[in-house]
Amino acid sequence: MSDPVTLSVNGRKETVSADPDTPLLFVLRNELKLTGPRMGCGMAQCGACAVLLDGEEIRTCVTPLSYAAGKQVVTIEGLPELWAAQKGLSASESATTTLHPVQQAWIDEQVPQCGYCQSGMMIAAVQLLAKNPNPTVAQIKDAFTNTPPSPHLCRCGTYSAIIDAVQRAAQAMKGAAR
Amino acid sequence: MTSNLDQRSSTSPLSISRRGFVKTGGALFVSLAVPLRFNGRADAAEGATSIDPTTVASWLEIRSDNTIVARTGRTETGVGITGYYPQTIAEELNVRPESITLIMGDTDRTPDGGFSAGFLFGMNNVRKVAAYTYQALLGLASTQLGVPVSSLSVTDGVVSGGGKKMSFGELVQGQHLELKIPVKGALPKPDPNGWVGMSSLDGITVDGDPPMKTVADFKVIGKSFPAGHIPDKITGKTQWSCDHTLAGMLHARMVRPATLGSTLVSPGTIDKKLFPTAQVVQKGNLLAVVSPSEWEAVQAALSVAGTSKWSDWSGLPGSDNVIKAFRDYNWDKPSGTKGKAAETTAALQAARRKISATYEQGYVRHAPIGPFVAVADVKADGSVTVWTHSAQSQGLRARIAYMLSIPFDNVVVRWMDQSGQYGRTTLGGDGAEADAVILSQLTGKPVRVQWTLQEDLAWSSVSPAWVSDISAALDASGHIVALHSAQYSPHMFDPRPLGALLAGLPTSTSKPGNWVATEWPYDKIANRLEDVYGMPNLAADSASGGLRGNIMRTPGQRQQNFALEGLINEAAAAAGADPIEYRLAHTTDERMINLLRATAKAANWETRPSPHRGARRSGSTAVKGRGVCVMIRENAYWVGIAEVSVVPGSGEVKVTKFTIGGEPGKIINPRQLDRCMKSGVVMGLSEALKEEVTFDKSKVTSTNWSRYKILTMEEMPEIQVVQLSRDDKGFGGGSEAANALVSPAVAGAIFDATGVWPRKLPFTPANISALLKAKAAKA
Repeated sequence: MSDPVTLSVNGRKETVSADPDTPLLFVLRNELKLTGPRMGCGMAQCGACAVLLDGEEIRTCVTPLSYAAGKQVVTIEGLPELWAAQKGLSASESATTTLHPVQQAWIDEQVPQCGYCQSGMMIAAVQLLAKNPNPTVAQIKDAFTNTPPSPHLCRCGTYSAIIDAVQRAAQAMKGAAR
Repeated sequence: MTSNLDQRSSTSPLSISRRGFVKTGGALFVSLAVPLRFNGRADAAEGATSIDPTTVASWLEIRSDNTIVARTGRTETGVGITGYYPQTIAEELNVRPESITLIMGDTDRTPDGGFSAGFLFGMNNVRKVAAYTYQALLGLASTQLGVPVSSLSVTDGVVSGGGKKMSFGELVQGQHLELKIPVKGALPKPDPNGWVGMSSLDGITVDGDPPMKTVADFKVIGKSFPAGHIPDKITGKTQWSCDHTLAGMLHARMVRPATLGSTLVSPGTIDKKLFPTAQVVQKGNLLAVVSPSEWEAVQAALSVAGTSKWSDWSGLPGSDNVIKAFRDYNWDKPSGTKGKAAETTAALQAARRKISATYEQGYVRHAPIGPFVAVADVKADGSVTVWTHSAQSQGLRARIAYMLSIPFDNVVVRWMDQSGQYGRTTLGGDGAEADAVILSQLTGKPVRVQWTLQEDLAWSSVSPAWVSDISAALDASGHIVALHSAQYSPHMFDPRPLGALLAGLPTSTSKPGNWVATEWPYDKIANRLEDVYGMPNLAADSASGGLRGNIMRTPGQRQQNFALEGLINEAAAAAGADPIEYRLAHTTDERMINLLRATAKAANWETRPSPHRGARRSGSTAVKGRGVCVMIRENAYWVGIAEVSVVPGSGEVKVTKFTIGGEPGKIINPRQLDRCMKSGVVMGLSEALKEEVTFDKSKVTSTNWSRYKILTMEEMPEIQVVQLSRDDKGFGGGSEAANALVSPAVAGAIFDATGVWPRKLPFTPANISALLKAKAAKA
């Protein structure tokens, strides 16, 4: 048995005893039962498995567990807590903040069709809005297409709804700024 | 939502029977009037208020707490049924849509079966069930309130009359009531003589004509009610079929044959020191590695793949030669034909002016973002449970039972969400389910099979290549007087499960024919003849069944409309007419005329013939063009207008704007339709500009996203939506069609920009620059 690897996942310390080469995706899904990130291409070509690692988007299908050791992972299940922490919300405020503005925008704009890729899309949106709080349509398209290692792909074709939702989330986050 | 007495007749065609009284809760169960056997299971209980759920299969439960459970075998495939099914039921019951919970797809918990692409059919079912139930509830209220039905009104599930009020929940309080709904049809079974290898795709349908609301009385339908499946998908709460786990479950990775036709010579082996808990499992040409650890299964499967020996095989023509292979095939008679054969042939022969063209497309595929996955549990007692995302649960159930030669009742299919699949499972096959069932049976343990992307893009069924010869006769004024099309393609009805084929287990067969899928928009074309020819799969005799043709979103019509609308655009140009004016001159259909005018106006369409006066077929700067196409499908009318920019020298085509118009009768949910229209355009652009399955003589080679390219967000143009809703034409299908509008409109726009007709999909830079160079050389 390999030495346990310790990492932070959605704000909680987790210790995992798995082969350090195991893709982080399998660890999140099978060991930690976080099924937000999903298996897509398995080769960092689609974005369905994306999470934030120390605030940067990574593709967990090609990221070994060992690479995440000591780092902070955020999946869509952890986005509400991420938002609460970013806004410095008190415990009572945090309890009423049930969703990250990106998640709320995804619901308000009725973005998902099948929804399979949308976990990765929301991660990409959170990452984009952290760097550019007021992106134009062209900047959103650029971010979702040209950010390495690959475009975020949606086969249902929800790109236009995603753009609407990113812009709605940007407005909501601006309104919530302190 | 409020409704006073609407236009419905107040006589109740069915009566409620009371099965007994209960101390707590109470419910009205609306179930089937004919006996059907269901695999009632203890875990099918739906909560505390369910009364004897193991024996009653209900369409609807009206519960004492004023919640309503609705059950349908049809499923959410991403087009919003979790929005518009509750809307439709709520409309007829006069309740809030939010009070309705949907249970979908599970064969032991839903009554009707049917395929999830059957929007109109399935929605009509639940609408009728709700309408029958509403009348029965009024009858019940009349008795309990002592007020005649004619004096009752219902608002948000509360019945009022004679100064008294009772909610639906109070009406059923303390009772176990049953309402029997008349039905017809049957659940599907494999049928070797049927077109799709199955007896029926529609399942059970509701019979009779209960009084239903008129469109003018609608309060909920027509509003943008949100789709119920969305919030849990946003927070990560949804359990998808890829998330399902069972105690003792093994993870499997399949080891596919070296080529499409290879047979297994010797299976590879596992180094137990490296992979101590992995195991090779084989049946015929079905080879897999299972392990309690998914990562071990992945690694060990790679190792087994590297050491397995397969026979050589090369029986494919190669994707570059596929049209030639079709031309060499002896096609026999058309398998489908529409129109007037003698008159059309005579008119074309007598024509003084005739235009002819050949349109073609290679293989394309559904290409879900999530490769297919399934979990199966085959018990020692012979019972089989499958967790899947098939859009045809009852059909899949029938295919699994047939494969194992076991009774239908021994199989339960449980439906869960998963990646969109765009028609791939409508016929009940083509997934990982057969693999999982076979492996579970062999290992005696629950097995989860996760296909890889490479596997999904190489081994799943495909939308076949086709070629169409089409010609039209024009009179002196340029009006079309006769049109003939002949389309040639392998069939698209082969949903045999890959696992069953490779393992050599029984499967259905289906006829190698195709059908005329167009709905004719041009009543002012006096003579038309559409012929469609079918043939078996390419490499049909190989061990895997070859390139298994299957339907894909807007099947048949997507392909046939490309040829038809392409030729209409060519004829308009030959006649020197604006392509929209030309279409208006060939139809008297008021719905089409209205939509064409509205969409053209929204797109700022400039009336003039194509090509554009600045059109060029060479040069390194961009030229612009615009094109149009129309379609009628399932009582819905559609118009697509594309604006493109083409760099002739490089062949690069950029779609700069797409305007889509839709008139599907009464629009049920404008926002969901807006989303479907825009996303359909994205899928259509992807197909028009990028997609093609490539294969050499032995195997598919487009097996990842850099080889099977689909549209990215940056490549999506501005998409403008025009919706026309009307109250006098019933409902039309809204979730297909949009994808099929793109290719012909873009083709027309490329012609407008360059003066050259692109007749071969996709419009990649390589294809377009080769076409323009060839034309330039001839010019």
